[in-house]
Amino acid sequence: MKKTIRQVFFWAMTLMLSINLHASANNQPSSTQPEKEPKELTLMLEWFVNPDHGPIIIAQEKGYFKDQGLTIDIQEPADPNLPPKLVAAGKVDLAVYYQPSLIHGVANGLPLAWAGTLVATPLDGLIVLDESPIKSLKDMKGKTIGLNIGGIENAILDTLFEPYGFSAKDVKLVNVGWNLSSSLMSGRVDAIMGAYRNFELNQLEIEGRKGRMFYFEEHNIPPYDELIFIANREKNDKEAIRRFLRAIELGTQFIVNNPEKSWEIFRDYSPKQLDNELNRRAWFDTISRFDLRPAAKDAGRYQAFADYLQERGELKKKVDASNFMLSL
Amino acid sequence: MKDAIKPFIVFLGLLILWHTLVIVFDMPDYILPGPGAVAQSMVENASLLWEHTLVTLSEMLMGLFLGVLMGIILALILVYFTALRPWLLPPLLITQAIPVFALAPILMLWFGYGMTSKVVMTILVIFFPVVTCCYDGLRHTHQGWLDMAQTMGGNRFAILRNIRWPAALPALASGLRVAVVVAPIGAVVGEWVGSSAGLGYLMLQANARLWVDQMFAALTVLAFCSVTLYYTTDRLLRRLIPWQPETSQE
Amino acid sequence: MFDVIIRDASLRFKNHCVFENLNLILKGGKWTCLLGGSGVGKTCLLRLIAGLPAGETTGEILCQDGFPVSHRIAWMAQQDLLLPWFSVLENITLGQRLRRSFTDIVKRHPLIPPEVEDQAMSILEKVGLTEKARVLPQHLSGGQRQRAALARTLMENRPLVLMDEPFGALDAITRLNLQDLACELLENRTVLLITHDPLEALRLGHDVYHLRGYPARLTDAITPPGKTPRSLEDNGIMMLQGKLLDRLRHESFDEKPVKGEQ
Repeated sequence: MKKTIRQVFFWAMTLMLSINLHASANNQPSSTQPEKEPKELTLMLEWFVNPDHGPIIIAQEKGYFKDQGLTIDIQEPADPNLPPKLVAAGKVDLAVYYQPSLIHGVANGLPLAWAGTLVATPLDGLIVLDESPIKSLKDMKGKTIGLNIGGIENAILDTLFEPYGFSAKDVKLVNVGWNLSSSLMSGRVDAIMGAYRNFELNQLEIEGRKGRMFYFEEHNIPPYDELIFIANREKNDKEAIRRFLRAIELGTQFIVNNPEKSWEIFRDYSPKQLDNELNRRAWFDTISRFDLRPAAKDAGRYQAFADYLQERGELKKKVDASNFMLSL
Repeated sequence: MKDAIKPFIVFLGLLILWHTLVIVFDMPDYILPGPGAVAQSMVENASLLWEHTLVTLSEMLMGLFLGVLMGIILALILVYFTALRPWLLPPLLITQAIPVFALAPILMLWFGYGMTSKVVMTILVIFFPVVTCCYDGLRHTHQGWLDMAQTMGGNRFAILRNIRWPAALPALASGLRVAVVVAPIGAVVGEWVGSSAGLGYLMLQANARLWVDQMFAALTVLAFCSVTLYYTTDRLLRRLIPWQPETSQE
Repeated sequence: MFDVIIRDASLRFKNHCVFENLNLILKGGKWTCLLGGSGVGKTCLLRLIAGLPAGETTGEILCQDGFPVSHRIAWMAQQDLLLPWFSVLENITLGQRLRRSFTDIVKRHPLIPPEVEDQAMSILEKVGLTEKARVLPQHLSGGQRQRAALARTLMENRPLVLMDEPFGALDAITRLNLQDLACELLENRTVLLITHDPLEALRLGHDVYHLRGYPARLTDAITPPGKTPRSLEDNGIMMLQGKLLDRLRHESFDEKPVKGEQ
């Protein structure tokens, strides 16, 4: 009997051991379903994080990127004109940029392409102080405009002033860097350009002054997207970008459906930098501007704007929109 | 080989190095254009560059002139009015300590977007080197000369004019050489933060339109101005101080 | 010509007494030579007389004719003190430039009137530097520079001349020549010459004193015979030199080393 018990015990141990080994062997990746590693993409913003980047932050914080199998490395630049160069050089996968500047870049031979839209309306405009004597664009003749050089000022001003018989040459343009609101409030300039309707208008109000904007798209300027995503035209992962934009779309959806909650999530992404009155007001003003269909490509609209720039002398030659827009 | 030719040879060498870098690293021309592209842009935009160069140059030269004048005056005050020293030295140090970029927007608001603010920026940038060097030179006059002057019954002004001031010239010259090389920084940073003209403005404009070769053309012109200014000042200073022999030759 | 009387002179640096209760008479129109080792306080005494800053000093400097001694001194140091940016001519007329008052400038008086320039040129001739009049000091030899300093001293035309080892940095031959020249040109002036070279003191001095000890004291005067500059062939002088050299050498063994400036 003792021998039997010993034998049984011995076999039981062997059995348990082999089951364990078999089980652990089954847990190795040599099994039929390999685990997917999340795809990493670098995204360089065009400026420090602000409400214009709402969908990106919401997508990041609510895990939409993760759900799409993506890890997004969000970077902030010091100079808004650095991202396109890095994208063109292949150092970052995606960047946030401006539609007009993309056209300039393409015209200069940079291998860039549109890869989705973030903000589908212009945010820019001509701002004057509400108390200023400038009541219509006609009164702008001979005035001084402070701006942050963007590259299409002449075309825009020519178009704005055309109905009144004067042009960009009849105003004085002064580059004020990023000090748009302060230069307007100090009275050193009569109007500013390059300031955003969701941002600087609120900033002026917080400072106790009111601003008034002449909206570009209401004054004969063809509509354009203020903020877009760009990628390298030659080297890009369309599949990953599609998934990226799907996450962005979900982020935008969430914001539109849950404005208050989404503000809290955005604010809590980095409370020290983002929790302030200006951002809060800008958040709610930006919601209606986000592109509800980020991956939707409107080549006709892009061509119209590019032709407009070329006709107004901002581009030396015509460009073909189909050459610089990815089909996603 | 004549000394005057050597800088040109170095310049040529740098051009070749630049060209080689662009080719070896396959630099795209929107990051670093080659010297050929930049030269072409310079030729194409010659009148535009010239127009903006004049603006920046006049800002620099006016800033240099006023800054040096004010610097010398302050140095004299520091030497002769010792009671004022503890009050004047801290603000002087602050002009050097505060980064110019931080000060620029405030200056724009005070002085506007015209030439005045850029001239003020340039003065701020060169002020400290000029004052320090001049002050050092003035207060380290050889005691033997001062003793001799005292026995001769010289008055303070005559001693300044005949002994202290000429003795301080070599130190002041060092300060001037530094000032001339950093003056462009003040002018250009001023233009970046508030201007309608100048090489800094041009660089911003070109950068925004991604005309990188034009941006580098403006940059090259700026560098050329700096170098020319340095060599010209050096020549002038050597003429003014012919009695200071160089002892560095072996 | 008047005597210069130094009475009860004392000098201290902090708590270190260089000398005290020093009394010395500089005979009018004669050369007084002060001999002493390094660091004993010779230069300090000279500076005291000249009114230059030199630590805490007390004492009176009186002139026999009753007028104060200030502005009647010509100073010649061991370094030639030629200003590098002025030519030789401009250097020797330095006194003229330094005494130019504001009113002179406003009234546009000429800086160097022709008679002053003539005087300067004649002095340059006496020291043998006529061709170097418009030259910068950097192009002169050591001996030439000291001659220019001598010319400047002459130009000052002061009754009392204070010299601090003026020929110490020159080679032996140049030194002898310059001693002779100075002797000739500064005849009939009251001269106080500080030196560490006994031969120089004996050749040029009418009265030779030795400053020694800590605190420093003056020995009795040695009055060598004969007209200055005395010849090297004079045996008496050579013997005295031997004695003085010996005294100076042993001074550095016997006495405590002296701190502070010379």
